[in-house]
Amino acid sequence: MTSPLESVALFHLGPVPVTAAVLVTWGIMLALALGGFFLTRRLSLRPTRVQALLETVVETLDGQIEETMRVPAAAYRPFVGTLFLYILTANWSSLIPGVEPPTAKLETDAALALLVFIAVIVFGIRAGGVRGYLASFAAPNPIMIPLNFIENITRTFSLLVRLFGNVMSGVFVIGIVLSLAGLLVPIPLMALDLLTGAVQAYIFAVLAMVFIAEAVGEAEHRPSQQRKDP
Amino acid sequence: MTVDWWTLGLQAVNVTVLIWLLARFFWRPLAAIVEERRKIVAATLSEAEAKKAEATAEAAKIAETRAGLAAEREAMLAAAREAAEAEGRRLRDDAARDIAAAREAARDQIEKDGIAARGVWAAQAGQLALGIAARLTGRLAPAPLFQSFLTGLAEAARALPPELRAGAIAEESEIAIESASPLDEAAQAACRDALSLALGGTPRLSFRVEPALIAGLEAHGPHFVISNNWRADLARIEAELNHDRAS
Repeated sequence: MTSPLESVALFHLGPVPVTAAVLVTWGIMLALALGGFFLTRRLSLRPTRVQALLETVVETLDGQIEETMRVPAAAYRPFVGTLFLYILTANWSSLIPGVEPPTAKLETDAALALLVFIAVIVFGIRAGGVRGYLASFAAPNPIMIPLNFIENITRTFSLLVRLFGNVMSGVFVIGIVLSLAGLLVPIPLMALDLLTGAVQAYIFAVLAMVFIAEAVGEAEHRPSQQRKDP
Repeated sequence: MTVDWWTLGLQAVNVTVLIWLLARFFWRPLAAIVEERRKIVAATLSEAEAKKAEATAEAAKIAETRAGLAAEREAMLAAAREAAEAEGRRLRDDAARDIAAAREAARDQIEKDGIAARGVWAAQAGQLALGIAARLTGRLAPAPLFQSFLTGLAEAARALPPELRAGAIAEESEIAIESASPLDEAAQAACRDALSLALGGTPRLSFRVEPALIAGLEAHGPHFVISNNWRADLARIEAELNHDRAS
């Protein structure tokens, strides 16, 4: 049994090692992209059951974004929705025998956390400009600038560690139980892992929304407050 | 524990690409169809609201029209009733006028009929009187009666203008003496004597019988007629009666 903290390259593309997590991610990308393409190819105003289900997903996601971020959902729907779908699919990919979820690898979770970190900056700048975004670090007063900066870094790490710890531990426990007790014993643990995977995907997406909303809100309000203060 | 930075970078790129792919092929079409349906529903609701408002306005208009129709019906009924009453009044007035005219015409006709009946009765009375007079003359003595009529005739001849009297006694003239019954020689001589005396000369006389005279004499000269008989008297009486009725 290999350590879950290690990534083993399956093959190399030039200097780039391609690990199992990358390979599974490509598979997930292919499945989600093709699935999305084929499912939305024949949309109509009189929806089928599948279309109605997909629209329900979209409307639920929009409602969640608007409820959490207090802004129109359209600009954030692709990022937040794709994060949720990818993490959920990646977590549940452990149901396929021989497939290890990419989210059980540190690099994948780090990449997701890095994307959230970058998204916070991009959406913050888009909402209030560079000055507005930078000024948001001085909220509620300039003394908080170092703390806010550290908070941005640490909460990104918390995202990374939370997702990695939960998924990796689930996979690790199932691996240990499977090696000790046989074929059917880990099934309840796998069911629990499904629940954990869904909850972790939801938590990751909600936290990403909260971080982005905080940056957007601060960036939008900060310049006006500065203008009001003489 | 080591971090494979290549894998980290690849995964970051992969997820970024996935975000773009799903945004392009999944989220956008679904959001578009939801938004399109929302717009259509909103438009349909607006249209339905407009139709409802329109229907309400139409219903109000229909109710108003219906109320107007009822009022118009009442007005038409009132107008028809009034026209019928006016027509009835006119017909009654016409009928009253016609009845009055008919009554007046009937009264005139009755009066005319009465006048005609009285004329007929008068004529019949005259005829009856003639009949009675004829019967009575038959019972009277002829001589005094003849003498009386001859005296009247002579007085009428004497009252003629002188030129008529002179014309009557001229040689070429002849006076025809008519009587109801034939005159004997003495009566003819008496006539010749009385007329000679009245005219101032001896006229040439001829005698003929005219029973229609009933009683009396009638002289027909060249330019005159002297009647002294009952037929003339009765005719005069009848004329006077007719004159009285006409006046």
